[in-house]
Amino acid sequence: MIERFPFLAPDFQSQEPRELALLSIISQSFFQPFSIEDNLLVILTALTSGSGVGFNRAMLFRTDGDKLKGEAWLGPRSAEEAKTIWEVLSTPGIGYVEIIEHNRRLLTGQAESLSQIVKPLAYSLAQDNLTIPATSAARREMLLVKNARQEPLVDPKFLEAIGVEEFLCVPLFARDEIMGLIILDNAYTKRPIESKDIRLASLCGLMAGNYMYATLLHNKMIEMEHLAALGEMAVFITHQLRNPLTTIGGFTDQLLTDRIEETKKRRNLEIIRKEIRRLEDVVTKLTLFLKVDVRKTVPFDLKAALLSVIQNPDLKMKSRDIEVLVDVEERLPKTLGDPTYVGEAFRNLIANALEATAQGGQVTILGRREDQNWVVVTVQDNGKGMPPSVKDKLFAPFFSTKDKGMGLGLLFVKRVMEASGGRIEVDSEVGRGASFRLFFRTAEEGRTDA
Amino acid sequence: MKKILIVEDEDALCLLYKEELALDGYDVTTAGNAEEALSALNREKFDLIITDIRMPGRDGVELITEIMGLRKDIPIIINTAYQSYKQDFMTWAADAYVVKSSSLAELKAKIRDLLNK
Repeated sequence: MIERFPFLAPDFQSQEPRELALLSIISQSFFQPFSIEDNLLVILTALTSGSGVGFNRAMLFRTDGDKLKGEAWLGPRSAEEAKTIWEVLSTPGIGYVEIIEHNRRLLTGQAESLSQIVKPLAYSLAQDNLTIPATSAARREMLLVKNARQEPLVDPKFLEAIGVEEFLCVPLFARDEIMGLIILDNAYTKRPIESKDIRLASLCGLMAGNYMYATLLHNKMIEMEHLAALGEMAVFITHQLRNPLTTIGGFTDQLLTDRIEETKKRRNLEIIRKEIRRLEDVVTKLTLFLKVDVRKTVPFDLKAALLSVIQNPDLKMKSRDIEVLVDVEERLPKTLGDPTYVGEAFRNLIANALEATAQGGQVTILGRREDQNWVVVTVQDNGKGMPPSVKDKLFAPFFSTKDKGMGLGLLFVKRVMEASGGRIEVDSEVGRGASFRLFFRTAEEGRTDA
Repeated sequence: MKKILIVEDEDALCLLYKEELALDGYDVTTAGNAEEALSALNREKFDLIITDIRMPGRDGVELITEIMGLRKDIPIIINTAYQSYKQDFMTWAADAYVVKSSSLAELKAKIRDLLNK
């Protein structure tokens, strides 16, 4: 016998304490940085634990393309095991966390776990003559099956796997996507499935379906972001490489033909040399940028690092006609970071500040101890500042306001700061210059947030 | 002698194009940005314009739009490092689209085609 149930919208007005407890546990776990597998485990646990819905076993199928595949089956393997497990789990002091831990071991630990039985099961959702349980997912219907052996609609292989006469199929879906299917039974207690159980199961199913759909969307978005970033990178590299290559190609061709006067040959070689240096520079910057993830934070002397950067000849040249004020507190504690990358980050920020500042302007570099845990380096200019539209995009890859900018500098600084366990803050308004604050963690004993 | 205006912000490329096209028998003027190009167009009459797209200040697309408003009859070749602008319908107003390459053969062929029409 098969009974069909409409998918009940959860009744949030319900005074049923179990329903509220379930909602609270499940929704809390969704906000934790758990993996999707862990969160599904929370759902299966809620469905099978005595303090939750209290089914004996919960079987999970997930969709993979147009296939519905058996993935996990949670519950004791026999009536004897059921007895011992439930005794343990009903001991006072055993909470949800312990039950979930126990269930994780049950699902993943043993080769002979129930999951091994369900894993070979798979149904194509594309075919027309679907059997139970797949039809529940395809039609998004909750099905309560009784006397399953007499039901021609039930897949014989599935029946053999589940081995009980009565079970409940709960489809997992959201909007147009079928996400999976949960099958519940009371194999050991033989307690008939009641309408109250069905209500609670539908509530869990609804949450699981929506959660799985949200995760799917989230993953798709991350993938698209990666693709978009890759696209931007390709466009950027194309530009950085094609111009020098065109120049090198053209001047080389001149050298190879007799169309060039003797006196111009050396000039051509010099141009070619310069363009090759430019290509090298692109490669160096890209490599440096891509390497930052290597975390090697050591205690270093921030003042010494800053002072050596300011001696950089390139910066000295840029700072002609600009007043550079350096004020670093005496006896700063050592800070954490990779000194090479941090130095390069300083160089980047100071170069930016100098470039943004008009002749006669001023760039201020401050080093201050904020508190026990943080030292802050501020690089401030009184240049033209930036509108919010620019400020918002400052750390985006390949975003630059400079004609020949690579758009990697500030992103590099941000990544260096993050790799050092610190952060960067920006403050700027049009006409009021810009101020970048770098927060470094101190390397001292007795940090209060260590 | 046919007169060509080259709009390109890279000095080395300007020099290369100027020399190469002069050797092919054209009278070449170069401009480093859109403003210089527009003032050259005010001064003289050109038979062909070759322009980059990504340039400081007004970009090549804006320049083309302005030139079209001034004199519609001058053929324009877009010469850029980016393949992607080809999809931008604003660039369809140009007569040819040549992606920058280490060989100038394609650019020279397009110039010949457009000037011999």
